[in-house]
Amino acid sequence: MLIHAALEFPVWGDPNAPAHLHVAPEYLERAYEETATPNVVTAILADYRGYDTMFETAVIFSAGLACFFLLRTRSRKDPGDRFFRHLATDMVIRIQNPSMKIPDTPYLQPMDSFWTPRSTIVRAASRVLAPFIQLYALYVVAHGHYSPGGGFQGGVILGASFILIALSHDLRTCMRQTPEKLIGVLSPAGVLFYAGVGILCVLAGGNFLDYGALAGWFGMAREAARSLGILLVEMGVAACVMATMVIIYANLSSAGGHRQGL
Amino acid sequence: MSNYPAFLIIAPLFAACLTATAGWIRRSLSFPLAVSGLTVSFLSSLGIAARVLASGKFQYSMGGWAPPLGIVLELDYLNTPFLVVVSGAALVSLIATRQFVEKEQEAKAPAFYALMVLAVTGMLGMVATGDAFNLYVLLEISSITGYALVASGDRLAPLASLRYLLLGTIGASFYLLGVGLLYMLTGTLNMADLSRLLPPLYGSNAVLAAFLLILCGIWLKAALFPLHAWLPGAYSHSSHASACLLAPLMTKVMIYVMLRVMLSVFTPAYIFDHLSLEGFVVTLASVAVAAGSVMALAQRNLRRMAVYIVIAEVGYMVGGAWLGNQTGITGAVLHALNDVLMTLCLFLAIAAVAGRTETLDFKDLNGLFGKMPFTMGALVLGAMSIIGVPPACGFFSKWFLLQGAIEAGRFDFMAALLFSSLINVVLFFRVFEYALYSDGHMHKQEEHGQTGIQEAPLSLVISLWVAVAGILAVGFCSGPIVRMFIQPALL
Repeated sequence: MLIHAALEFPVWGDPNAPAHLHVAPEYLERAYEETATPNVVTAILADYRGYDTMFETAVIFSAGLACFFLLRTRSRKDPGDRFFRHLATDMVIRIQNPSMKIPDTPYLQPMDSFWTPRSTIVRAASRVLAPFIQLYALYVVAHGHYSPGGGFQGGVILGASFILIALSHDLRTCMRQTPEKLIGVLSPAGVLFYAGVGILCVLAGGNFLDYGALAGWFGMAREAARSLGILLVEMGVAACVMATMVIIYANLSSAGGHRQGL
Repeated sequence: MSNYPAFLIIAPLFAACLTATAGWIRRSLSFPLAVSGLTVSFLSSLGIAARVLASGKFQYSMGGWAPPLGIVLELDYLNTPFLVVVSGAALVSLIATRQFVEKEQEAKAPAFYALMVLAVTGMLGMVATGDAFNLYVLLEISSITGYALVASGDRLAPLASLRYLLLGTIGASFYLLGVGLLYMLTGTLNMADLSRLLPPLYGSNAVLAAFLLILCGIWLKAALFPLHAWLPGAYSHSSHASACLLAPLMTKVMIYVMLRVMLSVFTPAYIFDHLSLEGFVVTLASVAVAAGSVMALAQRNLRRMAVYIVIAEVGYMVGGAWLGNQTGITGAVLHALNDVLMTLCLFLAIAAVAGRTETLDFKDLNGLFGKMPFTMGALVLGAMSIIGVPPACGFFSKWFLLQGAIEAGRFDFMAALLFSSLINVVLFFRVFEYALYSDGHMHKQEEHGQTGIQEAPLSLVISLWVAVAGILAVGFCSGPIVRMFIQPALL
């Protein structure tokens, strides 16, 4: 049936296809004048259809929340054998007596399985790479106005840098740097920030998400205010996406236990 | 303040995020935040209803962009009653199920509240929006949160949730594919704009394909009979809190979406004059009504019985909407509104009973009238409404549906409706019979001194009676509702 219907589709790449003749040209003609944003995709995404994008961010937040809600467990059911790596010698100690107390020293690293390879090269390389990845992510977020990029992409790259640490070291190291509470708050905070910008616009006298209304407050032209509004909401998106990626990874890779991870 | 239409949807979104945040910082705040979000939403839906009554339909453009460039909320006679009923029912069920959530979820209760409020955000957004793609985004929100809510429950709940996830994702993708085809053919996503641009293309097979894809997607999410496989598991294994929220709302919101697509994107002129599907669909709906009722009859468990009643009710509404006359569609709209209240009442009563008995199997219901008189009283009134006894609201919508069926000459649909009503009588009176009489098991309990009234928690009983009051109020106001909202919507 679909193939039969496909016979009546517009020709592939036809410039006169209806999809290119109705709203699309208006966006292309007006976007720069109205939002001072050269990247039309960003203008459509974050401004003309910003309401959709807010809910896309909320979708990501709810995916993270669902993952946390379904997987996160507080305690291990069966402690079983415990493993510790002695950092100086790289030897793994196995403790079978569940009641034996282990002193909390920096020389012993808790582990979840008998032996996992530890690669100094990979660890050192990832440690060096991570800050650069994060810097690049911020660039992608901020540069969404001019080039492909924006909150979703930047947020994913930012989240990937944390996941890289989790993969090359272990999940505990990653969760020490980004505590669960921090990412748990950051994920809804991203959506809140986005919706908050929208509410600021209402307070400034415009419709919800009408960034142009912020012009009066910041003493700038309406177009510049729209451009600023786009940047602000992209930051909210990036925060939410970043935190959600880490939440999903942490809960999936350790079955909700937040221990060693993969 | 002229921005209350936005707060209808933004308030619960904001509240959901704050609830999740409060879970990490101060847990005791999370429930009040969730309740306040839905309260604001309910109040703004009342504000919208007042404005629509006073001055007719209006739009709210997000970001100040006029359609079709931006996204608008389209607030008219059709969706305002849905907004009021959905936000009100969600508020009631959130308050009613607090004990269940606190007991079952413990530390994760804030996340559960946040998921509940987000699901409602998605549903309200779907009802209010005037943009076909925006509807998909909101459908995604209420689906994802719905999967998570369904997955918390008994041992089989994760499996039921997985099935719901697979089928639900297929349904949503069908809808998205259909919207994609429409965009390709017209270049717009705005519903009003689509209905303006589509008529010259009515002969096209691509439009037909888009319509069928959208329709199948919606039916899958609404659990119309052959596509209902996800529903029984999802609503009978999940925790009571999620069932009380999702069962009354999700299928009915999808019925609203079907009506919206039929009336505002494609027109009745296209559906009933160009296509001649109504014969097939009404037959399908009749089969759905009959099959849902028969399957309900086969159950020996109160909750599973209720779940199959929901499936039969979906058949009522789909059939009414496709009868092709104004009376039938009026009946479908009214029945969707009523069914939110009836299902809410039914599932709240079931949750109340579940708190006091071992299982919900019929044999364990013995002596409930003595033990929980208020809960069972509410269940009786809810059951009367589902059966269709005046003055409960179920009677009036069924009356419209029957009249519509006779006008359209669809006696098979009429027969299915009457058959289902009779089955409902059998179903509920069987439950009452079990609940009215006590057996030896009960006497044993009496010896242990556990007799007397053991009502469900007060908030649950009060919420239950709020739902009953809603059923009676809508029943008494059926005439004004039809005259002031539904008939202008169908003009």
